Amino acid sequence: MDLNLLVDLFGYLSIIVHGCTIVAQSMTIGGALFLFILALPMASKIGPQVAISTARMAAWAAFALVICEAATVALQASVLMATVDLSLLDALGATSAEAGLAKIGAGLVLSALLFAYGTAAPRVPVLLLALVELVAATMTTHAAARLDDQAVLLAASFLHQLGAAIWIGGIPAFVSALGTVHDRTGWLAVGARFSRMSMVGVACIVVSAAAFTFYYIAAPDALYGTAYGVMAMAKAAMFVMLLALGYGNFRAVERLKAGSDVAVPRMKRFAEIEIGIGFSIFFAAASLTSVPPSVDLVNDRVSWHEVVERNAPVWPRMVSPQHDVLALPALQAKLDAEAAAQHADHADAAFVPGAGFLPVRNAADIAWSEFNHHWAGVFVTLIGLLALINQAGVRWARHWPLVFLGLAVFLFLRSDPEVWPMGDEGFFESLRDIEVLQHRFFVFLTVAFSLFEWRVRVGGWKSSWAPKVFPLLTAVGGAALLTHSHAISNVKDALLIELTHTPLALFAIAAGWARWLEIRSDGKLSRVAGWLWPVFFIVVGLILLDYREA
Amino acid sequence: MQKISRRILAISLGVAMLLPLSRKAEAHAILLESTPAIDGSVKPGPSAVHLRYNSRIDRARSRLILTRPDKSTELLPITTEGSDDVLTSQIDLAAGHYSIRWQVLAVDGHITRGDIPFTVEAR
Repeated sequence: MDLNLLVDLFGYLSIIVHGCTIVAQSMTIGGALFLFILALPMASKIGPQVAISTARMAAWAAFALVICEAATVALQASVLMATVDLSLLDALGATSAEAGLAKIGAGLVLSALLFAYGTAAPRVPVLLLALVELVAATMTTHAAARLDDQAVLLAASFLHQLGAAIWIGGIPAFVSALGTVHDRTGWLAVGARFSRMSMVGVACIVVSAAAFTFYYIAAPDALYGTAYGVMAMAKAAMFVMLLALGYGNFRAVERLKAGSDVAVPRMKRFAEIEIGIGFSIFFAAASLTSVPPSVDLVNDRVSWHEVVERNAPVWPRMVSPQHDVLALPALQAKLDAEAAAQHADHADAAFVPGAGFLPVRNAADIAWSEFNHHWAGVFVTLIGLLALINQAGVRWARHWPLVFLGLAVFLFLRSDPEVWPMGDEGFFESLRDIEVLQHRFFVFLTVAFSLFEWRVRVGGWKSSWAPKVFPLLTAVGGAALLTHSHAISNVKDALLIELTHTPLALFAIAAGWARWLEIRSDGKLSRVAGWLWPVFFIVVGLILLDYREA
Repeated sequence: MQKISRRILAISLGVAMLLPLSRKAEAHAILLESTPAIDGSVKPGPSAVHLRYNSRIDRARSRLILTRPDKSTELLPITTEGSDDVLTSQIDLAAGHYSIRWQVLAVDGHITRGDIPFTVEAR
């Protein structure tokens, strides 16, 4: 395999695997803490089943952590062996690989203890192994490679992951416990204690995030002027969403104490959404670990003036430039002409996918991309409007999911102009380019979920899971968009684009979970959520309509 | 059927999660300064290569490759002295356009790379 492609692929896969690792790690540690702080001590009030389910969940999470960590170490070692000609032993001698091996070892023992002994697993060894996981994970954070203030940053990284594990990692066990318990005393016991645990987790996150802001971001202009700052703000925005939901649960517990148990279903629904948003934060965190802290990026910061200038509303671009004036076709035509003049057998390719170089771009490419985003904005706004009309009771508007099919065809034709059917590059050859691969699969998924949702809307599909496809894919797509970056060599231009994509991602996540709430709850909450998500779609459409690359 | 459909849903979600992730990892360990400078020039004959990064680098697991004007490549030996954020080597070159491709492993486990095109001036 081409070595450059291997390093590209490593960068790409390592973010995904890292996101999964954080999820598994948090659920392992959060599950173990839930077991020993809540489920076991309160077993007399809530019954033994909560502890049994929690132990099983933590055991599986530890097993998943072993798999994720093994994948991380294997990926890194294979890239080092292939590109730096190291032996396996030398590759595994890297500090990060040693930390990974420690996590694998601790995870295996932890998983074995929890599977073998369940709720009788010995408390001290389990908690010590969880501590080993946390310390080893801290050795693969930014802090481990810092030259200055390393001790305080290592402590903050440790605290941050601990807080995330207590709170977000504990939520799946909390949701499971709410489903297992069937009486008011039980719900109250679970809700009240998890509320207090969550507060400790939130405190750990807030204190450590303050340290990161001070040492890694340092200046207010870095919040919008660097990729690290923008991603940190996106995490903060989702953290606020989580806090709002957490406050909703806190209120529900208060109502339970007052003698009303009508709030229990709401608590369950909110906690489900907390899992979704919490895991989105974990993937944003995985992406954040792969960009340099703001303080290191002294040049190439985006100024406030540039942000305002780029986002000032202008009329959308509804006419596309011609395909042959784009940079790659123009360059290919020039190379072909040169080859013909020299009587060469074949011309050099203007762009070799996967070779590790970014394709050339010109003004027409920018216009092409803006046109794509603006028409996508028209489609998405239309979807939001039709969904709103449908919500108001207009029956024919229930066919709105079919508009997604139009969007899919449009994206298939336009997203990668250098590729078949528009360009010279073959369909399969182009899939070596990770960005093209992503676009192609996105088109496939858009078609799939539009047909799903359409069948749900016209009443052809009565199963309970089918309506969940649309909100889940919307929310997951939004979370994935958070970590998307356009492969543009100019750091400033790439960041200005990211500044538009981040709110898009946040509104998509909000839209997905609002729709989820509409389906999963009833009464006023469901009605409000039902009106909210189409509005979020319209906002996404309007942001797309104002998108610019120059 | 219900079970299979659920599995399809789970797989779709998993794949969707993979979708728009991109090549950000290339930007992790950043080159703060270098000799030769990017697009800079050096005198012909022996000279030092000095690359400074924003993070601690695992030198034994990093590499420097010189590309000559005729596109042939040569592995540059990395010296072991200097602080943890620095890679150094030696070159002895005649006039022409060269490039150094660096690939580093940061201590936190991120592998990143970049290119330093430069010119060796004619005497």
